[in-house]
Amino acid sequence: MSDKKLCAAFAIAGAFATAVALAETAKAANDQEKCFGVSLKGKNDCAAGPGTSCAGTSKTNYQGDAWKYVPKGTCTSIVTPKGKGSLEPISH
Amino acid sequence: MTTSADVDQSAFVRALLDPELPPPNGVEASHGFAPERRFAIYRNNVCVGLVDALAERFPICLQLVGDEFFRAMAQCYVRERLPRTPMLFEYGDAFATFVSDFEPARALPYLPDVARLEYAVGQAYHAADAAPLPLELIRALPLDRLESATAVLHPSTHVVASAYPIVSIWRRHMSDDEMTPVELEHSEEALVTRPELAINVSTLPCGGSAFVDVLRNGRTFGEAMNAATAVAADFKLTDCLRELILTGAFVALSVAQ
Repeated sequence: MSDKKLCAAFAIAGAFATAVALAETAKAANDQEKCFGVSLKGKNDCAAGPGTSCAGTSKTNYQGDAWKYVPKGTCTSIVTPKGKGSLEPISH
Repeated sequence: MTTSADVDQSAFVRALLDPELPPPNGVEASHGFAPERRFAIYRNNVCVGLVDALAERFPICLQLVGDEFFRAMAQCYVRERLPRTPMLFEYGDAFATFVSDFEPARALPYLPDVARLEYAVGQAYHAADAAPLPLELIRALPLDRLESATAVLHPSTHVVASAYPIVSIWRRHMSDDEMTPVELEHSEEALVTRPELAINVSTLPCGGSAFVDVLRNGRTFGEAMNAATAVAADFKLTDCLRELILTGAFVALSVAQ
């Protein structure tokens, strides 16, 4: 292996090791849960029942079958004008 | 409205796109209605339907230029380019290029790249499912041989490199937060993935999209790094790998024996 190639191999190995460690930390801090009934219209993260297909398609504010990612453990403590957030789809 | 089977399809398409033309030969209307009026309704429905499809596919572009401007621009696109396949999610593939040549939109030089990003988001949404490589398995790889390793990227992985801060613009318009100005004088490279159900849009360090493109072609991490440093001499490999790992862009990594 040439010096240059050896150097690149070291750089990639080091970067990978650091990147994995950073990703683990970020992942732990970022754990999210799907929260139903808390997103404003058009701001849902995905799948809002019949007639809609995905992200940004919910038709009303706090639509009960549309969900949004929120930090883990916070969903059911979110209070909207239509009631609290839920981990399951809700019918308002 | 009935059409006889021998209606020439290209004549039909011409009449569909040009309101000045009479209905194609063989088009008749039942109940004695004038075929011209019936066909005009059909022509309008086709156009409005496709403009609506573009508005759904490029919602941030619509926000950037406003409803009226967007619809007028989209109508021009529809007249220039009807869908090439029956799959509507592929419609708009040439929209970004069209926008970059669209004279009235010149005042917003970032608009074509925002359209590219939005198209990538749509493609990522409809891409095949695949399970991202778990962190434990990445950690277990033999570090000293990664230089010659290759990767299989998640089918939803897309990159868009821009001279403008397209990810900041996109995010600012997607969030509920109060709008704050975006500093236009910097470039951004966007990474789009959909590891599970939710679309993820993040930024890669400069050179990152070249890095991803080389990996996508089945080349090694060493080759990908060469391509990235050719774009940016100070390519931040660690940041790039961290972003790719975190967004689930790797489905498999294989180390040469």
